[in-house]
Amino acid sequence: MAAPMELYCWSGGWGLPSVDLDSLAVLTYARFTGAPLKVHKITNPWQSPSGTLPALRTSHGEVISVPHKIITHLRKEKYNADYDLSARQGADTLAFMSLLEEKLLPVLIHTFWVDTKNYVEVTRKWYAEAIPFPLNFFLPGRMQRQFMERLQLLCGEHSPENEEELEKELYQEARECLTLLSQRLGSQKFFFGDAPASLDAFVFGYLALLLQAKLPSGKLQAHLRGLQNLCAYCTHILSLYFPWDGADVPLARQTPVGPETEEEPYRRRNQILSVLAGLAAMVGYALLSGIVSIQRATPARAPSTQSLSIAEEDEDE
Amino acid sequence: MSLVAEAFVSQIAAAEPWPENATLYQQLKGEQILLSDNAASLAVQAFLQMCNLPIKVVCRANAEYMSPSGKVPFIHVGNQVVSELGPIVQFVKAKGHSLSDGLDEVQKAEMKAYMELVNNMLLTAELYLQWCDEATVGEITHARYGSPYPWPLNHILAYQKQWEVKRKMKAIGWGNKTLDQVLEDVDQCCQALSQRLGTQPYFFNKQSDGDPDRNKTGRQILTPERPAPPRVSQAISLQMPHTPWSAACGTDEVLAIRK
Repeated sequence: MAAPMELYCWSGGWGLPSVDLDSLAVLTYARFTGAPLKVHKITNPWQSPSGTLPALRTSHGEVISVPHKIITHLRKEKYNADYDLSARQGADTLAFMSLLEEKLLPVLIHTFWVDTKNYVEVTRKWYAEAIPFPLNFFLPGRMQRQFMERLQLLCGEHSPENEEELEKELYQEARECLTLLSQRLGSQKFFFGDAPASLDAFVFGYLALLLQAKLPSGKLQAHLRGLQNLCAYCTHILSLYFPWDGADVPLARQTPVGPETEEEPYRRRNQILSVLAGLAAMVGYALLSGIVSIQRATPARAPSTQSLSIAEEDEDE
Repeated sequence: MSLVAEAFVSQIAAAEPWPENATLYQQLKGEQILLSDNAASLAVQAFLQMCNLPIKVVCRANAEYMSPSGKVPFIHVGNQVVSELGPIVQFVKAKGHSLSDGLDEVQKAEMKAYMELVNNMLLTAELYLQWCDEATVGEITHARYGSPYPWPLNHILAYQKQWEVKRKMKAIGWGNKTLDQVLEDVDQCCQALSQRLGTQPYFFNKQSDGDPDRNKTGRQILTPERPAPPRVSQAISLQMPHTPWSAACGTDEVLAIRK
């Protein structure tokens, strides 16, 4: 291998190694298979080689950004978590992933990006704090618009009057889906026995986000907490494969100054820049409107321009 | 359907038995109907045949607009109109006919998962082939979709529908896929279904709610009743190796759909 593979993904929060669903799923799969990835946890999607996160830069320099393709590539590089699965279990994997995409994904998008309370208090707050200036002003809003459009197209055309009904329907289907997953998991450690597979990575992504984020209106969260085996499954994977990420969270809480000190040089620079910009604007306006004029070779002009400008103002009034 | 309306409908549905004059509406068979709509219609017909419920098929040019949800097919039973396979299955269940009673919870979970797989992969692939592949669009889809309408409405409606479908494809990430990638996905899906079926006659050893859904697409791809676009015949050649599933589709067709 020429260079190690590099994975760029959203950084962690809310007790999880990553706050984005796709990034989390890819990270979990990598941990399952023990793939030697250099993980870059960033908060600026424009820094990633493909402009979106997650993105994998392979050892040949190619950049892959679709999560399924990333996992396929890892499989090709012999990091295959599905090696022991029978053909029928492979078929089941495909089927359950479609189920997740159809039933759980719309609700996840709705919970984090469309539900106003959640969006304002949790999602937007995290992204606005994490993404560097000046992207944090428009990037969360843009992401929300993209997600809302995706949700609208996924769920078909529904008139705004029955938006509440649509919501209820979505959540009803999601609850059913969670119950189905719970029944399928039963009392096993992972979906296909004792070793984790790619399906486990995706299911973990969905469930962990729903469980761990502190959502003010978490209707699905309540239902999920009722399904004991799914909760145990999540905590098991989290403690087994991401043991030190749990330690990051208390650090972040105890030292809220931490991230601020990191931004200190940027903050100072931003302050100076904004003061300079303000001064330049004021001086420019003063010069252009004639309140202040630079005395040059013809001092006689100055009072006449002033009187002219005053006369203009009188005319305007 | 909202939850309250659903409960209401099931109550009414339970009250009356299945009438003799139940009708299923779809678009015009010969000239108008497209691959995906035909597949959906076949699924409903297969399901009702498996439940031994009589149904009459009526073709109307404006079936898409008559339907309460905008999708075909829909059935008119007594004084109720129900569209799409999911709600129809529930409606029939409320009347007391269900094919999935014998399944346990895990099997029901698997059934739902496989139905979603078919919907997700195969239906989306069908839509892609029909509306995003330029060759097919030009030769077949535009002509068929707008055939009952006068000029210029036929072009306007066709372009409008194409734009809608392309937007949806982009939203779910299929906008950038090439035809070969789509065919690869279809192949993967068919292999998965073939593995699941094995050598059984039906997916869960006796007929269940999910079978019509899966068999209709298989049958549709294997033996299209109307001229298949050239790309679809390429897809057909991919399906041939998956003999258990294609055989099951064949027998089901022979058993279920007799006109």
